[in-house]
Amino acid sequence: MPGRTEFIQTIGKALGRGAGNAGDADIFTTTASLEQEALLARIKTRSAAERKQLRGVIEQVAGPLHIDFHPEDNLDDIAGAIGRLILEKDPEWGTEKSVVRWDHPLLSRLHLESLAELDGVTLHTTDCVSGGQGAKVSAAAQRSAIRENVEASFIGITSADYLAAATATLVMRSRPGHARSASLVPSIHIVVIEEEKLLANLEELYTLLKWDPEEQAQGLTNCLSLISGPSKTGDIELVMVHGAHGPRELHLFIVKGEAP
Amino acid sequence: MQKKDNVTLFVQCIVDTMYPEVAESMVDVLEGLGLHVDCPTEQTCCGQPAFNAGHQQVARAAAEKFITIFEGAQTIVSPSGSCVNMVRNHYQDLFKDDPAMLARVKAIGERTFEFTEYIVDVLGVEDVGARFNGKVTYHASCHLNRFLHIDRQPRALLANISDMTLVEMKDADKCCGFGGTFAVKFSEISEALVEDKVNNIIASGADVVAGCDMGCLMNIEGMLSRKQSPVKVMHIAELLAGKSYE
Amino acid sequence: MSEITSAEYKKVAVDSIADPVLQSALESLQSRLGPATQNLYQNLPEGQELRKTAHGYRRKAIDNLDILLEALADNVEKNGGTVHFAATDKEAVDICLNIARDHDVKKVVKGKSMVTEEIGLNHALEEAGIDVAETDLGEFIIQLADEKPTHIVAPAIHKTRQQVGKLFSEKLGTPYTEDPPTLTFDARKALREKFLTADMGITGCNLACAETGHITTVSNEGNIRMSTTLPKVHVAFMGMERIVANLEEQQSILRLMSMGAAGQQIGGYVSYIGGPAAENHCDGPQAFHLIIVDNGRSKILADEEFREMLCCIRCGACLNVCPVYGKIGGQAYGSAYSGPVGAVVTPLLFGVNNAADLCTGETLCGACRQACPLEINLPRMLLALRAKLSEGDAKWGVQPKGKSEKLMFEAWQKIIKRRKVYDLFLKIGYVLQKILPAQDGMIRRLPFPFNGWTNNRNLKPLAAKTFMQRWKEREGGKQ
Repeated sequence: MPGRTEFIQTIGKALGRGAGNAGDADIFTTTASLEQEALLARIKTRSAAERKQLRGVIEQVAGPLHIDFHPEDNLDDIAGAIGRLILEKDPEWGTEKSVVRWDHPLLSRLHLESLAELDGVTLHTTDCVSGGQGAKVSAAAQRSAIRENVEASFIGITSADYLAAATATLVMRSRPGHARSASLVPSIHIVVIEEEKLLANLEELYTLLKWDPEEQAQGLTNCLSLISGPSKTGDIELVMVHGAHGPRELHLFIVKGEAP
Repeated sequence: MQKKDNVTLFVQCIVDTMYPEVAESMVDVLEGLGLHVDCPTEQTCCGQPAFNAGHQQVARAAAEKFITIFEGAQTIVSPSGSCVNMVRNHYQDLFKDDPAMLARVKAIGERTFEFTEYIVDVLGVEDVGARFNGKVTYHASCHLNRFLHIDRQPRALLANISDMTLVEMKDADKCCGFGGTFAVKFSEISEALVEDKVNNIIASGADVVAGCDMGCLMNIEGMLSRKQSPVKVMHIAELLAGKSYE
Repeated sequence: MSEITSAEYKKVAVDSIADPVLQSALESLQSRLGPATQNLYQNLPEGQELRKTAHGYRRKAIDNLDILLEALADNVEKNGGTVHFAATDKEAVDICLNIARDHDVKKVVKGKSMVTEEIGLNHALEEAGIDVAETDLGEFIIQLADEKPTHIVAPAIHKTRQQVGKLFSEKLGTPYTEDPPTLTFDARKALREKFLTADMGITGCNLACAETGHITTVSNEGNIRMSTTLPKVHVAFMGMERIVANLEEQQSILRLMSMGAAGQQIGGYVSYIGGPAAENHCDGPQAFHLIIVDNGRSKILADEEFREMLCCIRCGACLNVCPVYGKIGGQAYGSAYSGPVGAVVTPLLFGVNNAADLCTGETLCGACRQACPLEINLPRMLLALRAKLSEGDAKWGVQPKGKSEKLMFEAWQKIIKRRKVYDLFLKIGYVLQKILPAQDGMIRRLPFPFNGWTNNRNLKPLAAKTFMQRWKEREGGKQ
């Protein structure tokens, strides 16, 4: 790599590297502190009642963050509510109503395609595996089809890996079937997430990402997004306007946990 | 609480030469609290103007003179947060490469107190029994408030002055735009800042703007006077000494 | 490569003070963002101590910068990205031009990035025939108006809705409106087209994480996500100091940065980007290039006096409280970096003598340090710069500024050295001041070089007797 060695040497020189100054051996943290272990344990053993409390927190913070929090908490009601949103809302860029969703088990269980009222609406899935009619389609062709569908859709429906309650922060990772653009390009973003995925705050999220063995194995992937509300800007006279480039609206549904 | 005994006055040059009555009020208050006050009369300036302008050699010479004069003093008290900040904090910057001097300036810095800090934190007194008939607003000067973290002390002393109404101005802790030579070199910016300050003071409805630094108050007074405003500037020592304004 | 106009500081400052529209914009900015940020600090669940802790994280990262950059580069490459190291602005620009050439890039969408402003990237891309669209709404406005950003986070803060309305109707052909939501929609529409057709997205990097090999980008508008998701190539520029070692450190710093930048708990969109899209993923760029830029930073790193400046994360919180910025706005600072951070960084990056007024044109009130999420001691560094400027400095190639001030202070030193001499000068002053114009017992006009004071202010005259004289008389009376 041109320049790297020299570049790093220049920094080393500026830092006075040499005998007795090799840098801090403990610069990377490799073992969790007792507090972090305790926090991990607390996250893993969180009760249904505590999760319900977190739901309450989100309900409170959603308003100021301009997030539309919906009270429906079971899949049937959520599907109905999403159906109504699709019918009520108007496309921003055209007249056709297309909706795109992740290829995600929770979203499949909504069975949106079976909602009778969505007859004239095209439902797309960002499905990387199946491609076209049984024929093997190239990855590039699949990508461009997904891109076309996302661009054409006025609503994007996704789930999320986690939801940190204190800041209503959704955590999404790039995965097969989980298009990054589905939460970004359509004018309206709808998120459906299970109550089990609720965390108290960002500290919990980062503690999980850093120290939980499963999370460590998975890593952040090449793109992890934290989303706390719809797109907004205050660049003209600090007047807050929602829908700068990303979604103008963010609708949030939390699926109630299974009864123990 | 420290034993009430000797305090040595470190008088800001602006007070010494332009506002001597402020130092006199400070003496009245300290003596009223049962202290014995002395004042080395060969003192001149702590060197802050030179230091702030980047002339560290000159500032170092001033600091050396200061140390010679005050090193024997047990407790040093000054009517200026800015000057105390210079002695307590910046002297250490000036002598950071000279361990022997650094130790000396550190020691002297620990014995140097701003007037209200000394009364409240060292003596443990928040009410000196003063009385003042009028409406007063407090300007929290920058070096005092942000560098020495002294804000509660002057406010507590003011709050305990009987018959006095204390009103809060907008942006009480915002810079008045003095900044030493800045006020002359960048006078247009400085004026714009002091204009805001003066407008806020006037809007507060106060008869008097009080503070703990005559540098700021001199700047503020300069514009109040040009605007022919009846609002007066008073150092907190004057209020605590029971001075009235004419 | 980018030109700096800091020598015009005073002139532009005076013009800005005289501009009532700008004054009201600055007042509105500071009265809203400054207190909002303080309020968040005061309510930190971890307490304000977190700011000191986070400063420690940054400082440790800077002290281990070589180790962290190596780790970051290795991790990014492992994830399929390409890392470039640019010692100078020119190298950085050339690397980007080469990438653009390799991918046959015609259209670029850009997220707001201070380092690309610093190296003058847009100009170079345009010279190469590439269409560059700034996509942050503020930057978009600035680009249409062909102006320079005047605030690190809110680049078009100096523009009114009327000015933006006029600009949009002229340049975008949209009907004139003064309604910010409608104007935002007009920009949204114009830029959507750009996002959907761009071949390359260029962004900065708020803070990289060495251990995972990711850069982070933070925005509220979503423009950076657009720029890093839709085009086939993503090029990220990163000032070499914008890195921490560990994820948990980043958590604190990103939160503090959001508080400082926009009075938010956390930015609306925070993205971790570690490389190009994986092969089996549905979207994202096919190529990811990270360009790490020195451009004078290693010199700052080598100087213990200024190393702390590399802890800065460019949130702009200091601009939202600085009394001087609040009067003169961002243009006067003459570089991409304005406000207190600009007053320290611009001289260090572009030459102390070139930005002499920036070092001295502040009141040293300390509001910047109080507002900084990391409590960076900007006043200390301003003082250090002033010392270099007054006394000269070979290492930084600083020529001492004009002799007259130095002579004045040396004379002053002689005067204050002995009280007798001092008293003599005070006596002379006391006599001479009587010939100056007066108003109500105050001096109304001072002679050169002090005349600036009395343009709109009076000055208290010297007292007939100093306190020291009065004291001596009092003590004498006692005996």
